[in-house]
Amino acid sequence: MSDPTLLVLASLADGDKHGYAMMVDIQRFAGVRLGPGTLYGAITRLEQRGWIRPLKAAQDRRQPYTLSGDGRRYLEEQLSELNQIVRTGRRRLKHA
Amino acid sequence: MREEASRKYLARWLAHLYPREWRARYGREFAALLDDTNLTWRDLFGVTAGALRMRLRKGGNYAMQETTPLVRLLDMACRDVPQGYELESSVEFTTHAGNKTLVRSFCRQIDLGDSYVRIDHRSRGTDPAQTYIVFGTKGEVDGDFRTDQTEMLALRADGTVQRTEQTVKTWLKYDAILDRMRIKLRSGMTADEIFRQFRAQS
Repeated sequence: MSDPTLLVLASLADGDKHGYAMMVDIQRFAGVRLGPGTLYGAITRLEQRGWIRPLKAAQDRRQPYTLSGDGRRYLEEQLSELNQIVRTGRRRLKHA
Repeated sequence: MREEASRKYLARWLAHLYPREWRARYGREFAALLDDTNLTWRDLFGVTAGALRMRLRKGGNYAMQETTPLVRLLDMACRDVPQGYELESSVEFTTHAGNKTLVRSFCRQIDLGDSYVRIDHRSRGTDPAQTYIVFGTKGEVDGDFRTDQTEMLALRADGTVQRTEQTVKTWLKYDAILDRMRIKLRSGMTADEIFRQFRAQS
């Protein structure tokens, strides 16, 4: 899974994070390093779609984000689709 | 160390390539991320590519929120008719000054195989309503688009008729999306909510 928007959503599913924390988290759980340009491209798209939103409590320049209800639902849908592909692929490999 | 410092300096400079509206919204936090990150040359390329992508999307939602009036869907009904559909909607526009305009429309489209007929009846605020009748001949399909030849008759409120012929590109996915959306759209939805539905469906 290397879609930056899904990686950001999956990172925020574990708790609110700012950009750098997302970058470190994504590298840890997915082995993918999202550069700042790619990460903020994904953040911009996700905020436009209403799937994440900025938290107001930012004291410094680092802006934390949280997953919205729509974002959680979208992530669940995407993960269940991916799960279906994984299950089908494994079943077919077994019979190949 | 000196090389890393020069990459950070270059990244901050490249960040200025993003559109002004984007920088106004994300510039401060993006600069913080650039400061926190041990940047590679590939990251600098990513920042440049990101700025170009944002420029191509300029006029996207981050800019629209500041400039567009509030749009609210008051009512919408979509019905299947033989070989087509009917769509009725009432949409309210509120400007930043608080002025409201009601736009009501009725549309019926009938598919005739190689061609189609569409009737559009629209009224905006206190302006006289107008009716448009479009006769379209389906043309070549290229990906998700089809190039059609159309003839449009505009029936003006003063009794005159204006005829226009043109070549138009029709987005083929529109009907499929409309079909899936019609069960999800409801009264009172704002433009932002409709936009999110649309993006989630497309």
